[in-house]
Amino acid sequence: MSITFPCRNFALFSGPVCEVISYSGYITCMTNTRMSTIIVVAILLLVFSGSSSSAEGAKKTIVMGTSPDYAPYESVDAKGSGEIVGLDIDIAKAIADKLGYELQISGMDFNSLIAALQTGRVDFVMSAMSVTDERKQSVDFSKVYYVARNTIISKANHNYGTLEELSGKRIGVQLGSTQETVAASIKNAEIKKLNKIPDMIQEIKSGRIDAAIVEDAVALGNTTANPDLKFTMIPSGDGDEDQGYSVAFPKGSPLVDEFNEALQELEASGEKEAIVTKWFDSIMATTGPAGGLNLDFTILRDYMNYMMKGIYVTLLFTLVSALFGFVWGAILSLFKISHVRPLQWFATAYTSVFRGTPLLLQLFLIYFATPQLLDYDISPLLAAGLAFGLNSAAYLSETIRAGIMAVDRGQREAAMALGIPYRTMMISIIFPQAVKNILPALVNECVALLKESSLVSVIGVQDLMRRATVVQANTYRAFEALLFVGVIYYVLVLILTSLARVLERRLRRSD
Amino acid sequence: MINVEHLSKTFGKQEVLHDISTTIESGEVVAVIGPSGSGKSTFLRCLNLLEVPTSGRITINGADITDKKTDITKVRQGIGMVFQHFHLFPHMTVIENLAFAPVKVKGLTAEEARSKGKVLLERVGLRDKADAYPSKLSGGQKQRVAIARSLAMDPDIMLFDEPTSALDPEMVKEVLAVIRDLASTGMTMLIVTHEMNFAREAADTIYFLDGGRLVEKAEPERFFTRPQHERAARFLEKVL
Repeated sequence: MSITFPCRNFALFSGPVCEVISYSGYITCMTNTRMSTIIVVAILLLVFSGSSSSAEGAKKTIVMGTSPDYAPYESVDAKGSGEIVGLDIDIAKAIADKLGYELQISGMDFNSLIAALQTGRVDFVMSAMSVTDERKQSVDFSKVYYVARNTIISKANHNYGTLEELSGKRIGVQLGSTQETVAASIKNAEIKKLNKIPDMIQEIKSGRIDAAIVEDAVALGNTTANPDLKFTMIPSGDGDEDQGYSVAFPKGSPLVDEFNEALQELEASGEKEAIVTKWFDSIMATTGPAGGLNLDFTILRDYMNYMMKGIYVTLLFTLVSALFGFVWGAILSLFKISHVRPLQWFATAYTSVFRGTPLLLQLFLIYFATPQLLDYDISPLLAAGLAFGLNSAAYLSETIRAGIMAVDRGQREAAMALGIPYRTMMISIIFPQAVKNILPALVNECVALLKESSLVSVIGVQDLMRRATVVQANTYRAFEALLFVGVIYYVLVLILTSLARVLERRLRRSD
Repeated sequence: MINVEHLSKTFGKQEVLHDISTTIESGEVVAVIGPSGSGKSTFLRCLNLLEVPTSGRITINGADITDKKTDITKVRQGIGMVFQHFHLFPHMTVIENLAFAPVKVKGLTAEEARSKGKVLLERVGLRDKADAYPSKLSGGQKQRVAIARSLAMDPDIMLFDEPTSALDPEMVKEVLAVIRDLASTGMTMLIVTHEMNFAREAADTIYFLDGGRLVEKAEPERFFTRPQHERAARFLEKVL
């Protein structure tokens, strides 16, 4: 019996994300119309409206959930169409064809897959997911359709053949994976749990760990791209768990039997074997230069288009959250200077809470709690725009308040004496002067938002940072994509600050 | 017509105005004088509710502005006010300063408001400054623009709160000339001032305030030559 372990990219939080793909089309959730809808929605704070992906076609559609960050099983074809591709997808397609379904794919974080099944957002999950007792309590599984083996990956000059040889060494495993259990059985080993495979590879290369335990496909891809690494299969019987990858379904789904039958047919006809071979060959085709830190930016050539699209997402996100933050912050600052006690209290408490808790936490709460509390499937971009806007407003309300206080009291009196109503006075007399006072602080806030926007990649928004990590995973190279988007961020900030300078000069023309 | 009955104003424990009652007829020009801290400015600011009276009643053209139900914004549109420190809107040009309230509040078109503004600028002798920003003007010019800005709302009452106190001496004259000119048109005016000669010659009535009380109310000639109260006499001794 061979050993199989799931080893997946465990982000701490999860949820349906933007990588919805229909096989009759391209990425459907990133079209311009939807984007502008999101802007309007976010700005107007219409949290309760929005759109969800829907399928077309006469055939009955089934939706598959997967976490496309695990080549060769599932990954984003960033070089080409941007669709989700891989071994699991091909098998799913073959099954859907056999059963006469239209297949639609919904990309999301690995950890949210079970939740997506339970809430009916997807009909089944194929994502190199192995059967565990824990998962069995929540979902039903098909028969095992693929069995992977665990390997030890290390620098090429080491020679670790068995788990025994790893005793006393520093071992890396992926957090939340079943390799954790395997590693735990090694005597005297110092276990380091890491979030992502690429992180683990870098830890080996930089000598912080001696070896890592990963499954065969991962080992193959990474050692091909990094010739200074090598891997060894762990002999059978070593920590044997008898587990393979299965398709997961909601409890009691009638699809289980249909899928089992179809899988059997694919097995018998040799179609499955052909798919497996095709995808493992594709890994071998990934070539990489020698190890160390010698950078090779030519590997990014094919991913340019994909990464550049992230600029649009990042800018759009920054714009939405900055505008929303400014407007809401301005309203809060008015609350603070008003003479209505409850409004003052509200604004003060609001600022205190949003400044006093981590932004990341707010982001997660808004993204994950909204569907449960309001029964509204909030899109990651909207959730992120909202979270950043709400957070930014807390800071800006203080800045704007200070700006308003700095406007000469006489301005207000002059406006009042002219019989100008409060609203008009605030908007046309006080605010323009306040904004001029605080412009440098506002620019700082925009720059911060632009850079902090990289946080949103954790909930799956396809921003620059997220795209960089996708490319990182696809190329098995750690630094090139990161450095590249680093330069883009820097250039964006430079452009932003020079625009701000132009604006400032315009505002100063009355001096 | 302005009617003030038993007006009192306290800031914390300090009583700034004490039981002031008076009537200002329409077309009357009142100069409010008195030592500093006597409550002159507070009295003036109560008349358009920039300060809210602690007690008492103020009626302007029949409207009780101390009544909470009165729309004070509406009343203020008919009362111009000129401040010691001008308070022009610094982010607007001179003509924009003049046109803003008429457009936003009275619903004039931008075109109407601008041409009206031009006429008023002509009247205060600043026609060529229409497109300048306030920061480019001298103190006297700023104050004349501020007067024109108030006039653009067609008020029937004008309040002047020490309009020349912040000006260099050589600019006082040009501003007083504008105010004097305005007084001759029959506008109801209250002017808080330290310019005794101006008060004597331009006002119909002198209000002498001291310690928050309206101590003396008289025609200029009588006030400046035969003040009825000792405190007024002592004040005049010092300033004349």
